[in-house]
Amino acid sequence: MAQSKTPLLDDLEKGAWPSFVTEMKKAAAKKANSQDLVDQLELSYKDKTGYWKHGGIVGVKGYGGGVIGRYSAKPEEFPNVKEFHTVRVNMVPGFFYTTEALRSLCETWDKFGSGLTNMHGSTGDVILLGTTTENLQPCFDELSEKGWDLGGSGGGLRTPSGCVGMARCEFACMDSMDFIQEVTRHFQNEIHRPAWPYKFKIKCSACANDCAAATARSDFAVIGTWRDTLKIDQKAVNEYVKGGFDIQQLVVGKCPTKALEYTGTELKFDAENCVRCMNCIDMMPKAIKPGKDRGAAILIGGKAPVVKSAFIGWVLVPFMKVDAPYTEIFDLISRITEYFDEHAKARERIGELIYRVGMGNFLKGIGLTPQPQMVSAPRANPYIFWQDEEVVKHG
Amino acid sequence: MSSIDVKGQQIEVDEDGFLVDPDVWNQDIVEAFAKLEDVTELTEDHWKVINYLRDYYKQFGIAPMIRKLCKDTGFSLKQIYDMFPSGPAKGACKLAGLPKPTGCV
Amino acid sequence: MAKTDFGPPDYRTMIPPVIANNYGKWSYHEIPQPGVLKHVSETGDVLYSVRIASARLISTDWIKEICDIAEKYCGGYLRFTTRHNVEFLVSDEKQLQPLLADLKGRGYLVGGTGNAISNVVHTQGWIHCHTPATDASGLVKAMMDELHGYFTTMKLPARVRLAVACCVNMCGACHCSDIAIVGIHRTIPRINHEGVAKACEIPSVIAACPTGAIRPNPKLKSVEVIKEKCMFCGNCYTMCPSMEIADPVNDGVSIWVGGKVSNARTAPKFSRLAIPFLPNNPPRWPEVTDAVKHLVEVYAKNARAGERMGEWIDRIGWERFFKLTDIPFTEKHIDDFTFAPTTFRSTSQFRL
Repeated sequence: MAQSKTPLLDDLEKGAWPSFVTEMKKAAAKKANSQDLVDQLELSYKDKTGYWKHGGIVGVKGYGGGVIGRYSAKPEEFPNVKEFHTVRVNMVPGFFYTTEALRSLCETWDKFGSGLTNMHGSTGDVILLGTTTENLQPCFDELSEKGWDLGGSGGGLRTPSGCVGMARCEFACMDSMDFIQEVTRHFQNEIHRPAWPYKFKIKCSACANDCAAATARSDFAVIGTWRDTLKIDQKAVNEYVKGGFDIQQLVVGKCPTKALEYTGTELKFDAENCVRCMNCIDMMPKAIKPGKDRGAAILIGGKAPVVKSAFIGWVLVPFMKVDAPYTEIFDLISRITEYFDEHAKARERIGELIYRVGMGNFLKGIGLTPQPQMVSAPRANPYIFWQDEEVVKHG
Repeated sequence: MSSIDVKGQQIEVDEDGFLVDPDVWNQDIVEAFAKLEDVTELTEDHWKVINYLRDYYKQFGIAPMIRKLCKDTGFSLKQIYDMFPSGPAKGACKLAGLPKPTGCV
Repeated sequence: MAKTDFGPPDYRTMIPPVIANNYGKWSYHEIPQPGVLKHVSETGDVLYSVRIASARLISTDWIKEICDIAEKYCGGYLRFTTRHNVEFLVSDEKQLQPLLADLKGRGYLVGGTGNAISNVVHTQGWIHCHTPATDASGLVKAMMDELHGYFTTMKLPARVRLAVACCVNMCGACHCSDIAIVGIHRTIPRINHEGVAKACEIPSVIAACPTGAIRPNPKLKSVEVIKEKCMFCGNCYTMCPSMEIADPVNDGVSIWVGGKVSNARTAPKFSRLAIPFLPNNPPRWPEVTDAVKHLVEVYAKNARAGERMGEWIDRIGWERFFKLTDIPFTEKHIDDFTFAPTTFRSTSQFRL
């Protein structure tokens, strides 16, 4: 048997977890570029460094984003990945697919690309990994013909994404999939022709469990919630307890505001103290449901570390209704992105902009009034900016 | 590195077709780039954008933000895309001989 | 010219009839066995979702294979999760056991539900990123070969979310994961002055530095790095290819713990530094997989039911976390960036 050219990667075909190396090799059996990808990666494993050149700016006609340029740093050794660009395809909201749709996507990608994909990338797009500059336009033309549009990249709105929501979750307090679909359609120009100082991400989770990681990972997080009270079915509560469920430890003891008390026959509930964290609902989905007056909280500024620090989004709107046709929330997004575009420096995220100009100024700029839900505590320092109109003028 | 032929002269460009040496920029290069970036005809409006980008870069050492570009030239983003189908970064900046826009994608 | 600006395919054309009929009407769910979710609707309809792990980097061949399976058992419908799992959507209960048997026969791992380690959110690494300090797919594969028993069962105190990012940009939710692996550089960028002068926006490079470690070098029309101020984030390289930072000898990974994104019980939390540096040892990164396995095991042994990693640490305190895990606490663990003072202890309440 001939000695393998890729002993390091071959080792990662062993073991129980699905192997990305096996996947690469499947693609390599059909595509020369995937074979060169395997071989270049083997070299990376040997040398402990990446071999992709810096940056890359390629695209399709009429769009300023949606394609990430990538060039091998070793084009002589690996000529078939000299150009190996990524095409970001806007996924179906909720990541639902018919097999027909997936097969059609595969057919196009087998024709124009490497046959390798990520389902899905961190933002949510279908990542078609690896094609040439020459193939980009025909690939997009065919995708478009079949009903697949590109996602976002660069300094603009990134492809919005969200959780499964009402399609398959009893916790859903809003229609996250429909909202994501409509917000994506509404802001197409902002996705495809990036014109802002930096990226702006919108994510939506239909409840506070935040399966889409919206608060941590998006500039504008929409978190489904309610403003009336929990619906508790006492009979169902007692059935959980009869079944051996440790209500004290897992529900009462975990309530962050001590709003629940179990008497042995009844789950008592201090409605005004509920902070809608979802734990009791998560633990006893048959017995406890969200309230009926539903909408969402909006948090702003979430991001990863670079440059100023990682931020977990901050409360901007404690509660708003989010129902089709979504006029109010689209208007809010427009006001925020307009402010962002006008005031942010190059490569400054909205969280960093707010940190720089102050939340108070930001609220004024977008026309929102301060509310106590926005802070964990009021300021503890006396360094207040009083404005001219707030003091008595002399003379 | 590769190169493009501009009136018989070989001009060095990077993979994305941006000038390796911005100092060699001239009108002939703009015309050659225009063809590659689907700009059918270089009008006065195109030159307004190109000259604006060059002046801005000369003064500040960076490319202007797109909002600034639109405001100062009076063109909407749509008009910019109509003039430069591959957009302000890949199209207009390349023709203007600016360094390749960078950053996390 | 191709049609543009039409957005995503309509989800209504992609969901199975049982979902269309019960949209917004789901009443509750159970997990009859690891990897199987049973959703019951107000209408009495039932949907089973069978979850399998994917390699995230997948071939069109594999997609076609899961399509074959979905066509055989699920009427041609499936979905992906936010953590790269695949879910087969079974509306005919009679198909559930045959599907599970088929998946088992093909060697697929069914799991990732409830108190499990689900699939790992991660980045491209050496496969396709231009600023990586490590690979991501290989780390995930090596770790999950060790930890897959936690994917296919639900025996942990709570769910454990793993993430891997190949650099400190932390694409993926590394900053809010129970355990996060983050690739790091440890040496300053190497400046190619001629390249900076020709192809970089100097003001942008200077502005990109979080600690103000870059200043202009007008003589060379370039920049210089103040070594003492550089913490090796590589953001200057993102702005300028002539500031190369990758260093095969010194690059490696760090491990962060205790983050979460959910609001259940406690607020979302950042992941915090546990292990500042482990070497890149491909293909299996043994030091990293051992450390992660150890962290999971100590957590599993000590946390109470329902406690996420960060909630457990909040209860026992970081001082006991370092003792129980036997991880040395060093000056590297003490924050010295923008919000450092908020992490210093301002009370005499602590464990000795």
